[in-house]
Amino acid sequence: MVLLREGMCPGLDEDFVRRLRDAQVKTVEDLVSSDMEDLAQKCSASYKALIAIRRVLLAQHAAFPVSGADLYDELLSSTAILSTGNPDLDALLDSGVYTGEITELAGGPASGKTQVCLGVAAHVSQHLRQNVIYVDTTGGLSAGRLRQMLRTQTSSDDEQMEALQRITVHRAFDIFSLLDCLYRLGGDGGGGGGLRQASSHGGSVKALIVDSVSAVIAPLLGSRHDEGMYMKSQVAITLKAMAKDFNIAALVTNHVTRSVEGEVQPGLGVSWSHVPRTRVLLERLPDADIDRPTRRCATLIKSSRRPCLIRAELDLQWWSRSERDTSGKRKLDRADS
Amino acid sequence: MLLCQPPIRTTEEEKEGGGNVNMTESGAQLFARLDGRQSVRDIEPRLFPQNAQPGPGAVVELYGTEGTGKTELLYHFLCRAVLPVHAGGLELEVLFVDTDYSLDVLRLVGILDARLLAAAAESSIWPQRPEAHVRACLSRLLVAHCDSSRQLLVTLHTLEARLVSRPGPALVLLDSASAFYWSDRGEGGASVSKQEENLRKCSQLLAALLRDYRISVFASCHANRRRCGHASSSFSHLCRPWQRLVTHRVLCSRQEVAPARGGPRGHVFSAHCTSSSSGGKAYRNCSFRIGDGGLEFV
Repeated sequence: MVLLREGMCPGLDEDFVRRLRDAQVKTVEDLVSSDMEDLAQKCSASYKALIAIRRVLLAQHAAFPVSGADLYDELLSSTAILSTGNPDLDALLDSGVYTGEITELAGGPASGKTQVCLGVAAHVSQHLRQNVIYVDTTGGLSAGRLRQMLRTQTSSDDEQMEALQRITVHRAFDIFSLLDCLYRLGGDGGGGGGLRQASSHGGSVKALIVDSVSAVIAPLLGSRHDEGMYMKSQVAITLKAMAKDFNIAALVTNHVTRSVEGEVQPGLGVSWSHVPRTRVLLERLPDADIDRPTRRCATLIKSSRRPCLIRAELDLQWWSRSERDTSGKRKLDRADS
Repeated sequence: MLLCQPPIRTTEEEKEGGGNVNMTESGAQLFARLDGRQSVRDIEPRLFPQNAQPGPGAVVELYGTEGTGKTELLYHFLCRAVLPVHAGGLELEVLFVDTDYSLDVLRLVGILDARLLAAAAESSIWPQRPEAHVRACLSRLLVAHCDSSRQLLVTLHTLEARLVSRPGPALVLLDSASAFYWSDRGEGGASVSKQEENLRKCSQLLAALLRDYRISVFASCHANRRRCGHASSSFSHLCRPWQRLVTHRVLCSRQEVAPARGGPRGHVFSAHCTSSSSGGKAYRNCSFRIGDGGLEFV
């Protein structure tokens, strides 16, 4: 809903706005969908002026249709695939997380969601030398762990600090601070730290990590249902728009629930289920817990690029492995080039 | 020749003439309004009931939970519509209104590529530059991203200007119609009619566009409950004016199937189509798989 105000477009002065309001036309939507002839008579305004105002308002508020060919060209030049740093996860995700879309990690407690997030943050900032925004909603972010991951990749203290500099951490422990944080990042506002500003300063942000999105949304569901759903839809729309407008890879985490049949399914219900474009389910391995405590099973349960339900085993230790073996070295070179 | 006069006249007249322009229409305008647009009737004979293919003026609703192939079906229609005639397409102009930010152009290009290659293999004439053919297809596509129901409404209003001036899009794809359901519920306060206001206005406007310009609308709609029964009565939760608009409903679902030849588990998708356009109701069931080249009917 956008209220009509004076000065919104040429010809719309205070008097005009008042006359329109008397004719029950208060918002832009009202004006564009009312019959111009009727309206001209009702508020005794010139038909020509009304048509002109309507045309300007339409141009201002409508989404501008882009030709598919232009969109394709733009995508080819701007889409980046950010390697997660873990070859098994990369293979599952078709070589990494894509910019412009939301990737979700779903999993129960201790399934390694936060570890993957930290690993991706460390890899993107250290190897790809891109800025990362990390929104922490659970207090699960550990700078020590990040440093530990970075230490395995470079021995220079300066480089580690530089990489840490590139990771901006925002803490938001409820839905309002999360939305506030996202709006501030997405807006061109004066608060600083906006993505538009950041990109004009040269250092572009390539990854936005929200760990976890369910921690702030889940408490809202249940009691005042509509309000919770509204907040959830706002988070979804904002994240999607940010990912697309700023060409960022958004990585979010979600919890899991069980259906009546005992089947594991991602949390936050059906209205959230279609928000991420790619979803990976992380699970602990049932048997080998003692021998390989850091190995997890990842299943691709939603994707538009690869067949669903393919599985991979990944090692959470990979990001902080002690010695760099040859395959790791090769991976590293490829990421740099 | 009168019929060849530039249809831009319409907007100019509107600017100068005032009042009763919409009442009369020259032959050229009628021609521009109706004749330039082609029919989408043959868009997918395998999905819709035989005697009730969605013609001009049809509104098709694809309904289902996440991952049941709604967006893939839209890609399929989109490809059928924009592909050139020699590759089994209809060569139409299409407007894709993306309210879910779900359009994956790279995926779309993949499907177009596969279709063009398949067509080339059949006719055994290899295209000189397949890339250029894909681009030609994509240039028949317009994409508009909307982030609120308000923007959707205003965007649909601009569509009218587009349709008036030249043979614009014959097919409008909307993914999805239910994208702003919860945000509208939240913003509308306690009154239901206020909550539904924007979508109601959109539906009314679409109804007028469908009638006047004989376009077709294919829209997806997300289920808002995890288990929806088989009864087609418990379908959409969207407002009444929208539901009255819909002529064909397609209920999408998927089943997991046993691995074939030791491969990973896979899915088979099925679509149950109900059409209620021409008096009686007609049904059709079909199933398909989704592969790299898009939909494959089984």
